[in-house]
Amino acid sequence: MSAVSEIAARKEVIVCAGAGGVGKTTVAAAVGLRAAAEGKKVAVLTIDPARRLATSLGLKELGNDPSRVSPRRFSSAGIDMRGELYAMMLDTKSTFDEVVMRYAPSDEQAETILANRLYRNIAGTLSGTQEYMAMEKLYELHAAGGYDLIVIDTPPTRNALDFLDAPRRMTDFLDSRVLKWLILPYTRAGGGIFRMANAAATTFLRVVKRIVGSEVLQDTAEFFANLQGMYDGFKQRAREVAQLLQSDATSFIVVTSPAADSVAEATFFSSRLNEAGLPFGALVVNRVHPRLGDPIAVRPRVLQRLERGDGEERLLAKLLDNYEAFMRVVSLEEKNLAALARRVPKHCWVRVPYLEREAVDLPGLWAVSEQLFDGPADA
Amino acid sequence: MELDDFLGPRIIIVSGKGGVGKTTVSAALAIVAARRGRKVCITEVDRKGTLAKLFDSEPLTYEPSEMSPNVWGIHIEPGDALAEYLDVQYHMKRISWVFTTTHFLDIITTTAPGFKDILVLGKVWYLEQGRTRSAVKHSFDNVIVDAPAAGHMLSFLESPKGLTDALRVGPIRRQAEWLVDMVTDPHRTKVHLVTLPEEMPVIETLETSEALRRRLGIRSGAIFVNAVYSELLSKQERSLLAEIRSAGRTAELAKVAARVGLDLEEEDVDALVGYERFLEARRSIQARHLRALRRGTEEPVVTLPFLFSAGLALPDIETLADALEKEIEAL
Repeated sequence: MSAVSEIAARKEVIVCAGAGGVGKTTVAAAVGLRAAAEGKKVAVLTIDPARRLATSLGLKELGNDPSRVSPRRFSSAGIDMRGELYAMMLDTKSTFDEVVMRYAPSDEQAETILANRLYRNIAGTLSGTQEYMAMEKLYELHAAGGYDLIVIDTPPTRNALDFLDAPRRMTDFLDSRVLKWLILPYTRAGGGIFRMANAAATTFLRVVKRIVGSEVLQDTAEFFANLQGMYDGFKQRAREVAQLLQSDATSFIVVTSPAADSVAEATFFSSRLNEAGLPFGALVVNRVHPRLGDPIAVRPRVLQRLERGDGEERLLAKLLDNYEAFMRVVSLEEKNLAALARRVPKHCWVRVPYLEREAVDLPGLWAVSEQLFDGPADA
Repeated sequence: MELDDFLGPRIIIVSGKGGVGKTTVSAALAIVAARRGRKVCITEVDRKGTLAKLFDSEPLTYEPSEMSPNVWGIHIEPGDALAEYLDVQYHMKRISWVFTTTHFLDIITTTAPGFKDILVLGKVWYLEQGRTRSAVKHSFDNVIVDAPAAGHMLSFLESPKGLTDALRVGPIRRQAEWLVDMVTDPHRTKVHLVTLPEEMPVIETLETSEALRRRLGIRSGAIFVNAVYSELLSKQERSLLAEIRSAGRTAELAKVAARVGLDLEEEDVDALVGYERFLEARRSIQARHLRALRRGTEEPVVTLPFLFSAGLALPDIETLADALEKEIEAL
């Protein structure tokens, strides 16, 4: 039993994390697909703006609530689907809307915020918003309890760790001194407190005004002043999300490619998971070049003779050359992975070799899931 | 195409989705330029470290440093760019504690979305104009921007335009206009895209190229396709191998080897033939995506070889630079 199939069988939440371009989305979708096929009701939540999952699952548009992948798709792909698979792509803006409506002290205030000119921008640019909203949606789906398993694909952050800190980063920002200075003139009528506030606030406001202009500054300050009553709700939720992620119900799959930089990131990430008390479940090494044999020692002189020889000899020379090149890649990949091997116990490793079929449709995803669930444990 | 023409626009933006090898292509382009006696600066925007490691040099900072002859590098941190911007525009020195306040940049970018990107582009503009923060003056023939991932890159390039629309008045408006001029002038800026011969990267590249044209009026330059497996066997050799294989005579290869004194076991022969099969399977997948790419774009498509050495050191970059020179001259 592979590490992936083990956590898919026992856990309620699986978080796939890793550097960009290593195939997180594919792994998340393949895990969800297989768990659903085995009889579970599964939701796959993806954040990738490339809509890769949507394509893989044959969905044109994924809504901000999971929608069921039609059972017919599985039968026509030859997949025996015993459970149900749902998929959704996170829409940061709609999730933010829902959050505002939930935490605003009054409907009027919610309306004011949603109607604010800046709001649209803030949903996209405020530090950590996308990650916060992903966690928010994950928590909401889990709390509602409609699924046996939720698989989430983390945002394509530059750094795989960003999303772990995101809720805190966002609440830190909302709590920050500079933000208080920004909204100070708008929180107390008459500005009495503002006068008292030190020269620091004044300097700060002067600099910001210089850069963005007074009109924009005022809009922003008003917006954040309106948002004020909701911070406690945000923070409370961030704590709940952290608890869920640290709980026994959750497991993390770290996805990497055998390339040196993504291995470095995965190594760092797995130690960070450890420090943060987050449950590590499996390491998936994606797109590995397969090892087909042992090194063949060929003396250069022999190779030269073959290259000068007849058709069959030249063919053999090229095959030997090609073989040597692939063996070089294989051993380089092994070398890259060695650092991780020291950190991650053998039984947690799952390797997914380059497959002859790409994981861009259901049969392709299924082939990946077979590697993830049934592939040989690391030899 | 003449290499000097290719390197004509001073600013060369290299973009693509994460993991496609933007940094390697940026570095190889820099080598190509340096070989022609041009002084080049690669700007690292997205993440720190890879570039310096490639050139086996010290980590890059906000001050240009020479990584190899004529190839310079700089790491643009938005906070540094902001400090320089305030200094140049408003004569505000960094002494102000304000810049070091946590979340200061957050506030600014929240109030003026895209501002962070503008700061970075602004720094590129300073470099184009030959301005640096220190007393040392540089005049770069090319500034190569190892740009953020494709999705983000559009908003990166759109940021000045977005600002000029959003902030109808206001202090950054004028600077934003200069930047719009800079990125949309084909004589000053060229945007090249990097991709892989795989389904999603190809689709995204075509989308990005189209969006650049539609939303910014920019025609992308070349589309570089990284990690393309080269052809191994000639047509004749392929049919010879097919013949041997279909007749179940692969063991004969061991006999051929024995003739030159090479001892091959049956497993060895299987593995030899196995990697050829693997290569062909990968090549036919790649060929399909390359066809889709070429069908979908009018821009020149430049393929770069798969490096069996994993491309993480200078010799690999030199190899890629050789390939680039040949490919560009053939355009």
